[in-house]
Amino acid sequence: MTPDYYLILAAVLFTIGAVGVLVRRNAIVVFMCVELMLNAANLTLVTFARINGSLDGQIMAFFVMVVAAAEVVIGLAIIMSIFRSRRSASVDDANLLKY
Amino acid sequence: MSLLAQGALLAADNTVPTGEAVTFWILAPIALGGAIGMVLARNAVHSALLLVCTMLSLGVFYVLQAGPFIGMVQIIVYTGAIMMLFLFVIMLVGRHTRDSLIEVLRGQRLAAVILGVGFAMLLGTGLARGVGSVTAKGLDEANANGNVEGIAKLLFTKYIFAFEVTSALLITAAIGAMLLAHIEKKPGEKLDQKVLSRNRFTKGNYPGPKSGPGVFATSDSVATPAILPDGTFTERSVSKVVPARELTLTEARPKATNGNKQDGEIR
Amino acid sequence: MNDIQLPAIDYAALLPMLIVFGAACVGILVEAFAPRGWRFVIQVSLTIGGLVAGLVAIIVNRDLEITTIGGAVTVDGPGLFLQGAIIILGIVSLGLIAERRLERGGPFVAEAAHAANSDGDKRQEREPGATEVFPLTLFAIAGMMLFCVSGDLLTMFVALEVFSLPLYLLCGLARRRRLISQEAALKYFLLGAFASAFFLYGVALLYGYAGTVSLTGIREGVLQSEQSGILLAAGLALLAIGLLFKAAAVPFHVWTPDVYQGAPTPVTALMAACTKAAAFGGLLRVFNVAFETTAWDWQPVLATVAILTMVVGSILAVAQTDIKRLLAYSSVANAGYLLVGVVSLNGAVGSSLFYLIAYGFSVLGAFAMVTLVRDSEGEATHLSRWAGLGKGSPLFSALFTFLMLGFAGIPLTSGFTSKFALFSSAWDSDQSVLVIVGVLSSVVLAFPYLKVVVLLWLNPPGEETPTVSVPSMLTRAVIFAGVAVTFVLGVAPSFLLDIVADAGPFLAK
Repeated sequence: MTPDYYLILAAVLFTIGAVGVLVRRNAIVVFMCVELMLNAANLTLVTFARINGSLDGQIMAFFVMVVAAAEVVIGLAIIMSIFRSRRSASVDDANLLKY
Repeated sequence: MSLLAQGALLAADNTVPTGEAVTFWILAPIALGGAIGMVLARNAVHSALLLVCTMLSLGVFYVLQAGPFIGMVQIIVYTGAIMMLFLFVIMLVGRHTRDSLIEVLRGQRLAAVILGVGFAMLLGTGLARGVGSVTAKGLDEANANGNVEGIAKLLFTKYIFAFEVTSALLITAAIGAMLLAHIEKKPGEKLDQKVLSRNRFTKGNYPGPKSGPGVFATSDSVATPAILPDGTFTERSVSKVVPARELTLTEARPKATNGNKQDGEIR
Repeated sequence: MNDIQLPAIDYAALLPMLIVFGAACVGILVEAFAPRGWRFVIQVSLTIGGLVAGLVAIIVNRDLEITTIGGAVTVDGPGLFLQGAIIILGIVSLGLIAERRLERGGPFVAEAAHAANSDGDKRQEREPGATEVFPLTLFAIAGMMLFCVSGDLLTMFVALEVFSLPLYLLCGLARRRRLISQEAALKYFLLGAFASAFFLYGVALLYGYAGTVSLTGIREGVLQSEQSGILLAAGLALLAIGLLFKAAAVPFHVWTPDVYQGAPTPVTALMAACTKAAAFGGLLRVFNVAFETTAWDWQPVLATVAILTMVVGSILAVAQTDIKRLLAYSSVANAGYLLVGVVSLNGAVGSSLFYLIAYGFSVLGAFAMVTLVRDSEGEATHLSRWAGLGKGSPLFSALFTFLMLGFAGIPLTSGFTSKFALFSSAWDSDQSVLVIVGVLSSVVLAFPYLKVVVLLWLNPPGEETPTVSVPSMLTRAVIFAGVAVTFVLGVAPSFLLDIVADAGPFLAK
């Protein structure tokens, strides 16, 4: 086994996340799928840090976690506020904006 | 520490140590299963817990790949803080909401899955062909003074500006949460003990205990208001939720328990 | 333990961004400590003061060309011009954000935490709007400024999030039609997070390819990397998806009409002018600095995206019945024209910068005028309601007609000069197919604008024509700025063309 296996695992995880965003309707689950995509990107970064022999990849993964934390707060606050207004977290129910 | 030292080691032919390979083959299916399960689970809580499984496996992978700091941060921040926040919000809002199986855009799910499989195969084969030829350098040299020290050195030199700018992100997040979740009470809206007891004894208010439903009533249903000594009904005796739960005629019909009659059918 | 040495920091180069970030932080403190009645005045003056100080710092810096603070920031001619453009457009759109006369309490909700249509929501209808929007706007503007001068992809990613997160929030804060506003915030957020995940995965693959994420490092890595080109191609494609999403290019444009319609109109104006400038600033920098040497590989793909964007944007604009959606699709089509500038590489950087300024001012003016047409429900944005406004409000209709003609690219407006400059420099860079498609699509795009003009002047007024409200000096100033710049850049564009020519190419070393 070589470190490339990590990269392939990350690519598969990223794809699962992307497909999940497209097929799921619950806003919270869609958001979790985005988090999975970020995690896959992090695994790629950490693996490439090892392949390239520099710590930059690990630092970037660290930054991604900080950014993700801030993003989660904002995202869940928005989902909460929309849920309180209409008692549903489905993205299909959010359909006022059509022409 | 032996695990860490092992992680940084790479044999000349670019293969990883056996210990790492075994761990990978145990945890990779778990990570993959967690991810697939997250997408497939109909219940949002299950999705979140399965994603936690995936994230914990990734945390172990980071430690294996000579990144103990980032692995710990993954476990503490991602699974410990971010996913718990997700669970809190799911419990608050979305626990009962399940995805409908009806497709709004016909064929969208199938198209997404086909697209995804194609994308993964393209990327996977590309990566396998692309990277396989290069020997991994390993992090022995970079981690010579310790992984945390190495990260600190880069974080506070090369990436110092990005590090400072993330503070803007955190401030925005705090303000955003306040803005969307906090309702400020006006001075008059706050009801303390004193105000409450004043209100209780104001004119037109009956300070004693409320009469229970059914007391002096014409029926023993909880939905029937009590009759006061002066003969008038008092709506206060009926809990607010009772009228809301009043059954319609169809619902209140006697229901057949078994036999060949349809439920609710009256002969 | 070896000691840690800070890299060389050129504080002068960072000063504009530091000022705006600093003003935003002070704004947060004002929110915490200033008495409620004073906050609005303090915030408005602080925000404008901060932005003007930042602009002065940029003008002082105008000849600076330096990569500083460990390669995280690259200040050069185009970067400074873009920063200045974002600040100026930001100051102008602030006039709309701070407007409080059109609607009692301003365009923003007082307490967004109330559920829409609840008792609390109805009670707060006449209360003054939240003042947190000012620091949030400042954070967004500062993030955009950093986005345009990022020297590496990590800084770019952080900057992308710094300017996106406040915008997600601002979208959900409209005073009227809370549900639509919250829905816009949710859509923008989910799709934005999705796009930034693609951006990040692209960064990861490029890091694997080049061993570094600095733009100049990737440029050198292209020449000497041992890794396979598949990593480069995949990384570039994923990175481009993230950037094209912010730029609203087809097929990553689906959020644009919904978000533009649902967001409070001042925020829509901010997004249409400033976010567009920032997104294209980032695109131009990434493609000109990091990927110039691989141009043969990506130019055909990006050219296809540009053609799709121009065609789809202009055709869908024809079918719109809501003025905000119409302007959204026109913004998509304009993204296509700007992509022509990106594809043309260094030859068209100057004219792209010119286009961003010209388009930004016109679109700010147009959205400012959209805020004026009101009935008891708030803004009346459906086009049928605009029929016959020319009879009752000739001045309004004349100005709006002028802006629409500007968008349509009639001579004597900035729309003509900017398109001319862009297309001629693209022609010189041998992008003749793109230029032909661009010219044809701008002919198609002229129809919806002219439809609005006909509607304003020739159609009979409907049964309940909304009124054109009289705004305060702030919105008047915005409309004046939009119309005046559209006119001046149409008649005498040479001074600005000289400035963008002086800005020179991106610093690539």
